[in-house]
Amino acid sequence: MAARSPSPSRASVAEGPGIELVARRRLLVTPVDAFFRLHPGDRALVKEGEAVGRGQPILEHFREPRTLVVPAQGDADKQLPGDRAAPPGSRSRDGQNLDGELLFRSGGRWRIASGDRAEPLESPVAGVVHEVRPGAGITLRSTANAVIGRTALAGPSWGKLQVATGPDGELRAQHVDVGMAGSIIVAGARMDAEALTRARAVGIRGVVVAALGIKEQRDFLASERRGRAAVHGLPPFGILVLDGASRRPIASPLMGLFEAIEGGMVAIVGDPPTLVIDDPSVLLPAPPADLVRVRSGPLAGAEGAWAGLAGPRRFPAGVTLEAAFVRFGGRPPVAIPLGDLERFA
Amino acid sequence: MTTVPRALLAIDAGSATTSVALLGKPWKRWRLLGSMAAPAGAPIDELASILAARLISTDPRMAVELTISAESVADLPRLEAVSTPPQTLAVLGASRRAVGLLESVAARTPWRIRTASPETHDPREMTELALRPDVAAILVGAGDPPGPDERGWLDDLAGLVGAASRRRPELRVVLAGPVAARPAWTEGAGRAFDGSQERIVEGPPLGMRSGPDEPLREILEGLLPGRDSRHTAVRALLSLSDTLDRTVELIDIGLDGGLRAMASPGIADQGPAAVAVRTAQAALVPSDIDDDGVDAVLAWTTGSLDRHRMGDRLMDLHQAPWADVSGEGARLRLAATRAALARLDAHSPDIAAMPSPDVTIVSGGAFAIAPARAVALAVADTIRRPGTTQLAADHARILGPIGTIDDPDERRDLVADLADDLLAPIGSLVIVANIPAGRRTATRIGRITLDGDVHGRHDLVSGEVAFIDLAPGDRATATLEFRDAVRVGHRARRVAVPVSGGVAGLAVDLRDVPLRLPERRDRRRAALAAWGELAWPGDER
Repeated sequence: MAARSPSPSRASVAEGPGIELVARRRLLVTPVDAFFRLHPGDRALVKEGEAVGRGQPILEHFREPRTLVVPAQGDADKQLPGDRAAPPGSRSRDGQNLDGELLFRSGGRWRIASGDRAEPLESPVAGVVHEVRPGAGITLRSTANAVIGRTALAGPSWGKLQVATGPDGELRAQHVDVGMAGSIIVAGARMDAEALTRARAVGIRGVVVAALGIKEQRDFLASERRGRAAVHGLPPFGILVLDGASRRPIASPLMGLFEAIEGGMVAIVGDPPTLVIDDPSVLLPAPPADLVRVRSGPLAGAEGAWAGLAGPRRFPAGVTLEAAFVRFGGRPPVAIPLGDLERFA
Repeated sequence: MTTVPRALLAIDAGSATTSVALLGKPWKRWRLLGSMAAPAGAPIDELASILAARLISTDPRMAVELTISAESVADLPRLEAVSTPPQTLAVLGASRRAVGLLESVAARTPWRIRTASPETHDPREMTELALRPDVAAILVGAGDPPGPDERGWLDDLAGLVGAASRRRPELRVVLAGPVAARPAWTEGAGRAFDGSQERIVEGPPLGMRSGPDEPLREILEGLLPGRDSRHTAVRALLSLSDTLDRTVELIDIGLDGGLRAMASPGIADQGPAAVAVRTAQAALVPSDIDDDGVDAVLAWTTGSLDRHRMGDRLMDLHQAPWADVSGEGARLRLAATRAALARLDAHSPDIAAMPSPDVTIVSGGAFAIAPARAVALAVADTIRRPGTTQLAADHARILGPIGTIDDPDERRDLVADLADDLLAPIGSLVIVANIPAGRRTATRIGRITLDGDVHGRHDLVSGEVAFIDLAPGDRATATLEFRDAVRVGHRARRVAVPVSGGVAGLAVDLRDVPLRLPERRDRRRAALAAWGELAWPGDER
């Protein structure tokens, strides 16, 4: 288990009264229960309680799924929905793959979820299989630390972490080069669909970015679907979005974490959306206790020190909101709506 | 409450924000002493101690009288209502038509809906839907006898749902029709349905589609937690209607869903009655932000955001609904609120058809911080019922917590004491309909006179919204005189209606019913901007 560093000097500043009202953003979670979907027909390659290593195939899914209808044979009552229909490789007289999952029986005939061209999914993290539910999913428990994001797209994936740009940077397609191949890159505030597609093309295994717009998400997912449909065995690629859709810099506590683990092996997991840190011995920095970040509004992305509650205040558009004073650098405190702030823990 | 306390906390733990109100009984009546809201997850004890500190600083004698201190306030008795996130309901039918019928009922419940039928989905995809971990229940229905379009697939559907219930022992199943009577049900479920399984509930078949949908809705709502704030708020609304002896409508738009309820006071020996629709479709931001959802919000905006940027803003609003509520964020929130109100109105035609209520209460995070005139305009834009109503806000969000009191007499007593405090008057809203087509082009069509108004008469111009100052607490009779007969509750050329004041004053809406916005984007924006000037005046935009 990773050790947290002792609180830095600023943490000695007593937490101001009222800071508990600021939305708390959890940076790390451990253990992680990573969930991998099993669609009807998919085959789990692991059993509950089994230890799994990174890169080990844990499930197999059909690239071209379909439903078969076959008469129930033998002692049909011994077969249950969710069971495998036949051993792997079984084929009917007309060459149909009979390997699949029994869905349901109706009128003496089974409906079977089957398909062609099975493709394995490899575990991005090491852990122990916690639960296997055919047709639903596999839960893998890892005792590693994981950075929590908002959403994850595609994936799962793993690779060495590389910080490609600063927290406020925006990685353009022309700056994505093949030297980053095999790594998961921290791409700053935002990335467009073209840069994402290029990142995938040059062999980058994943992207961690503060914000990704709804258009970029759709464009990338469409490109990913096309790519997966065309190419068998496409290497894994995942995107972890830390904040949301509108552009904003990566928070300094998160950037501190990424810098601390740069060069180490990490994995992007989709459910929950996290970046799993492989090395448990790395010393992870803790954010100052009085650090608050403005997550929206005109000062979005700014970080400062908590200076106490300001009470109800009037803000633009004629709204009256509970506010707090925040000190940015050496300047006098500024009143910010309480809802626009976040703190880290 | 087993003993009678002299102070208590009313807590509404919503999906977006947590609201805490401090109630006290300094003399013979309960009073609202203060309230405060913070992002969801904020510690309630901390909110309560801040409220106590504010009370001590403003009225230390009352604090002493009620033995309230910052340290002990957390130990006060609590009335607590919780908004639970919507759960997912898989709606399955043997034909697209059957699914449509079921969906129309399920859409009027707090469930988030996913639909599938053999006409649109492969059995593998339908099984996948039924087995998804986020699906908490299945609603499957068929006609009795099954329709011609259902017969071919009904056995497969029964086998599929039976198998899903066998594979997921925690799954709740509602059978609307003779699905379990099919032999395939036994094949799928492994045993015949005999009514002994509590998690499988039988409902009315689809043949009841022309009748009221209450029986099936009650079954579906019965599967959800009963302490939900939108459920308990209706109980408080009943008490309020009975106390005020007025018909009262409650409109609540929250992050995860909406509520529209109409309560009428009891007559003779009958108690008060309410009709309510709780629906996840009226969430401030739909859980799946698609182009239709984005367009629905864009239709109410005057800015220059394109569809993608608006989608980004809505996604951020969904992820952090407590944030960005000032400046442009406030206007975006009200645009999303209008879209949600329109969906709520579409899903509650039974309530929309009722006469205008005496009082309309708005509640929920969507309205919590907006300027009063902007709230009045949002309601007038979307809930277009000709007539007069007094608008008020459940500003401290205590209707839900009060509704958690099980004893109706005790609840009524508390509501009677708090009626003046729990409702913040926004003003009165008069919606005029049936203005002759020839007079719909910005022409003076009549005038309004308030008795005792020193400002005299105000001209009424068709197609516009007029705000007339009427201070909170003031009451007056508004006399509206028109050149032609119009409809304000009833059809007449001269109408006198009682109105009461509020922060927004009196709003007289002379636009089309239903509201017809210009098709052209620039004209629509210009019209919205002109009306918006009334609600977001000057540099406060």
